[in-house]
Amino acid sequence: MHIMEGFLPHPWWEIWFALSLPVVAYGVYKMNKMIKESRETLPLLAVAGAFVFVLSSLKLPSVTGSCSHPTGTGMGSIIFGPWITSVLAMIVLVYQAIFLAHGGLTTLGANTFSMGIAGPIVGYLVYKAASRSGLHLYLAVFLAATLADWATYLVTSLQLALAFPAAVGGVLSSFEAFAAVFAITQIPLAIVEGMVTALMFKYIVQLRSDVLVRMNVVSQITIKKLKEAVA
Amino acid sequence: MHNLLDDYAHGNALRETSTRLKLFLGLWAILLCVSSTTPIAPLFVAITMSLITVLLAKIPGRIYFRLLLVPFSFAMLSAGVVAFMHGNGQTLFSVQIFGIDLAIREEGANLAALLIARTFGGMCSLYFIALTTPMIEIFAVLKTLHIPQSVIELSMMIYRYIFVFLDQAAMIHSAQVMRLGDAGAKNSLNSFSLLCSVLFLRSWEQGERLIVAMDSRCYDGKLDLMDQAAGANPMTIFAAAIYLAAATAIAVLTRDVLLL
Repeated sequence: MHIMEGFLPHPWWEIWFALSLPVVAYGVYKMNKMIKESRETLPLLAVAGAFVFVLSSLKLPSVTGSCSHPTGTGMGSIIFGPWITSVLAMIVLVYQAIFLAHGGLTTLGANTFSMGIAGPIVGYLVYKAASRSGLHLYLAVFLAATLADWATYLVTSLQLALAFPAAVGGVLSSFEAFAAVFAITQIPLAIVEGMVTALMFKYIVQLRSDVLVRMNVVSQITIKKLKEAVA
Repeated sequence: MHNLLDDYAHGNALRETSTRLKLFLGLWAILLCVSSTTPIAPLFVAITMSLITVLLAKIPGRIYFRLLLVPFSFAMLSAGVVAFMHGNGQTLFSVQIFGIDLAIREEGANLAALLIARTFGGMCSLYFIALTTPMIEIFAVLKTLHIPQSVIELSMMIYRYIFVFLDQAAMIHSAQVMRLGDAGAKNSLNSFSLLCSVLFLRSWEQGERLIVAMDSRCYDGKLDLMDQAAGANPMTIFAAAIYLAAATAIAVLTRDVLLL
């Protein structure tokens, strides 16, 4: 979910830029380190970024009839971790603004914060916690992607509420109103994205499980168990 | 197969105008819209930017009109929330739903109008940049702005692969539809996940092959790019300066005018 160009007023769009840029800068630092270690990471990151963009330009099997598309950031943070995902998300958001007219340039900071930082961090933490507690891999992936989307949507509602507090009840009641309006599309959308991501993982485990093992997403033992369950 | 704004940018009539000038014009207009306090200046920017894009850059009007519908639903929804939640003054309109009083007051209505105007002004300026400046030329400008090399490199590769994957996704999608893969909710969910995972695996393999291909062509972490665009000619700079001065003057002069 993107905030459109021109919607955030004067102090707020700068504030969100100020909050996201340090995180993205740290992501660039991490990425540079990764590239130095193994040079083949850069093209892999590039295709992952292109993949996220293409995902977001596809329409999901329509839930409410509105323009709803997956964000793909839950997937990114599970594989690359939240910091590098924030760099990818920022680049993808620029492309979405310029190619698809989703989002905008002054609202880039706010959108990066919700889609590229808050969502991926939540997704990453949920995935780590769920897989550590011994939850089934696909369930963990589903939870991570769904909760990442919900985090994105709540942060966007909060960003709008902070910029436009209600006359009665202030930020909180305004937040409730924004969250309620967007809930209609965002809550089912996140569940669908969670299911899609989990099914994607299922296919990847079957076909190219070495990718997941190499990126330290899943251990060899879990893969073996999953494959035995299918066979 | 795809329908990106970048496709139109390659054939527009302002292609040869200086990239820096176009970016400066668009960004100034966006900042002007965001910081204006009344809807008048953003509306002026929206109308003039649309005219520039359609008449000078010769982007087909039908396509441009369809683009304007993109921000419409978000702007209306969010501005609606603001209108109902905000403000003092006279009640302009009120309804009772489930016993809750919903009322639009003067201040809320003014703010909502301002937001819609700002969004449209900003989006029209964004369309101006997107429809007149191909991405490749923006890369050339970014390189001179000291953005980390790895980020530009990454963006350029992402840009390249967006088109490859969009075509692949479209092909897979047609293949699925032809085999009734979109019949019913369960089928379409399954097809969509299949599409995503195949796309992911193909892109991953593409990436693995890409580094081999680039290495064998002596890739050293830096793709060089020629800045093709010529410098701006004085007349264009003059025209752009007059336009921006006029828009800024309108924003400053109308800063206290209230519509309602």
